[in-house]
Amino acid sequence: MADTTTNTALSGPRGPKPRKRLSRGNIILYSTLFVVCVYYILPLWVMVMTSLKGMPEIRMGNIFAPPVDIEFQPWVKAWAEACTGLNCDGLSRGFGNSVRILIPSVILSIAVASVNGYALINWRFKGSDVFFTILIFGSFIPYQVMLYPIVILLREAGIYGTLWGLVLVHTVFGMPILTLLFRNYFSSIPEELFKAARVDGAGFWGIYFRIMLPMSLPIFVVAIILQVTGIWNDFLFGVVFTKPDLYPMTVQLNNIVNSVQGVKEYNVNMAATLLTGLVPLIVYFVSGKLFVRGIAAGAVKG
Amino acid sequence: MNPAVQALITIALGVSGCVGYFYFSNLVLDKFIFPARGTNAGRNINRANMVRPWLFLLPALLALGFYLAYPVFETFRLSLSERLPGGGSRFVGLKNYDRMLDEPKFWEAIKNNMLWLVVVPAASTALGLLVAQLTDRIRWGSIAKSMIFMPMAISFVGASVIFKLIYDTRPVDQDQIGVLNALWLKFDGGWGSTLMLRIVPVVLIVIFVVAALWFAWSLVRPVFSSREKSGGVLLSAVRLSIGVVALWLTWVSVGGIQSVLGTELTYGAPATWLTIKFYNNFFLMVVLVWIQTGFAMVILSAALRGIPEETIEAAIVDGANPFQIFFKIKVPQIMGTILVVWTTITITVLKVFDIVFAMTNGQWETQVLANYMYDKLFRAFDWGVGSAAAMVIMLLVSPILVWNVYNARKEMK
Repeated sequence: MADTTTNTALSGPRGPKPRKRLSRGNIILYSTLFVVCVYYILPLWVMVMTSLKGMPEIRMGNIFAPPVDIEFQPWVKAWAEACTGLNCDGLSRGFGNSVRILIPSVILSIAVASVNGYALINWRFKGSDVFFTILIFGSFIPYQVMLYPIVILLREAGIYGTLWGLVLVHTVFGMPILTLLFRNYFSSIPEELFKAARVDGAGFWGIYFRIMLPMSLPIFVVAIILQVTGIWNDFLFGVVFTKPDLYPMTVQLNNIVNSVQGVKEYNVNMAATLLTGLVPLIVYFVSGKLFVRGIAAGAVKG
Repeated sequence: MNPAVQALITIALGVSGCVGYFYFSNLVLDKFIFPARGTNAGRNINRANMVRPWLFLLPALLALGFYLAYPVFETFRLSLSERLPGGGSRFVGLKNYDRMLDEPKFWEAIKNNMLWLVVVPAASTALGLLVAQLTDRIRWGSIAKSMIFMPMAISFVGASVIFKLIYDTRPVDQDQIGVLNALWLKFDGGWGSTLMLRIVPVVLIVIFVVAALWFAWSLVRPVFSSREKSGGVLLSAVRLSIGVVALWLTWVSVGGIQSVLGTELTYGAPATWLTIKFYNNFFLMVVLVWIQTGFAMVILSAALRGIPEETIEAAIVDGANPFQIFFKIKVPQIMGTILVVWTTITITVLKVFDIVFAMTNGQWETQVLANYMYDKLFRAFDWGVGSAAAMVIMLLVSPILVWNVYNARKEMK
């Protein structure tokens, strides 16, 4: 008995297992994936195609077809001519505002948060635990709860409706989650390094700039991605804390699309959407895996 | 002024302010308060080092206090007070809440929020899990993944604009531009329409109900059985309430099946999707699911990769089929991650604002709490009721909030 089984095992088919291309499993697999892809990719496809067509071509239907004549007019119009209320200078104004909001808030929040994270993890002190819990609460509490009192605070300070106010709000609200991010990363750096540096006479800043900073470049990139996409895509703060002249790009996009005058220009709307999404999309394609980490880290924030 | 120049000035001011603060406060601490010389040099250095972290954290603490802690309490106070004609405010107890509870729009928002709360996290997590599992097995999986993740990079408003085009409606005699209407007009009432519009939805609903009941049963079972430990009283209560929710969902779904089978469909006429009451909520949810699936997929796919190969190999040797491997081996091992994804999306859902604001602005019975609050605060300028609505959002979020804080503390210790 034992002999026969070993024999068949030896004389049996050899080589790699033959693959059936159209097995039942594969059909289910590919058809499910196809349906899923239609749901996720079709809207993006339609958006890009529509933005490149002229209005006459759009009116003919054929939404899925690529454009016969590629038109860049809608892009130009969305950028420089589309109207919101009385302003007719398109998204360019919003772009400028968004940049002016984005750069200071990203740099400030990351600078402060990284120092905080460093102070929390390496210079343990009385009360650091309480501070830590406050930070976690701060990063999870929904923004809606704090909205109106902050409007009052900013008004009292005289910066309600200015870009400064919005920068301040973004900086403060980015801080808890960023501090936690940095704290977690710094805690993975071996403590011996820190101790050795202290023995060698490095102070608080010496250790921060010469040891922590060079070793934690990835987490800085993650933090930048988190903040850039978060602030760029923010709508609530933009609409609540600024005035029409200073609206960031997302708010302006909404206003352009929802302005009721004249015919609906689908191509301009889609071009405007693409223009608004361009910055995060570029960041996404350039940074790849780190982007995913940044988004995942930011997903929990209030 | 040039925006770039202005931004540069802001940064320069901010950074130099921070550095200046840190530098001078340290200087004062080291040179004047606890100088490292004289008889007490050693003691002074130690004391200075004890105080130092607080110096660095002080700006952060002040900012957090001013912009996080104070506003939360202030909102609570405002929800209990009323504006006086000459300015100022007065304590009125629960009057604002009373007024809010009398408004039908509030109840509509609560009802819709519950619907969102059930559908969006479930759909996003399930789709994310499905895609994560399927794309692991094929070569172009990573491309598919990066495409599905792309909506995460687009703002909620941008996504809403795209879906507005998809739901767009034009008059009967013109060609339809909206994707959904173009598809809709392909249906003519034949057997294909019956299959796609009646049978497939019913099957989907039944799958959903079975999944919900199975999930709830697996959670509720430990409460009744004596063999397995069910945890404390609180945990049992949570498990039982999930069971009740599942039963409620079943009830709703049965109604849904009835309406799917019962409604007369007007073939050949374009529909204005966003004005169809009740169902328009689902059209809005599709947008959020579209965005959030990428998030769920990425996290779950990492978790799936982390499952030890041995467990799967053992199951294969024991003769398990792919479905058994997935549901009995893989899913239980990543249950923790699934819960994290689920709760994260739940919080997002509770605060959903941009999508509703941009697409319907709460018309046609699509109001949600966050938009209701915005309406009250910034359109009706009724901060009493607005703050009350904010407190309701806070109340709904807080169980998950506490759970998250508890987990984060445990994890980061």
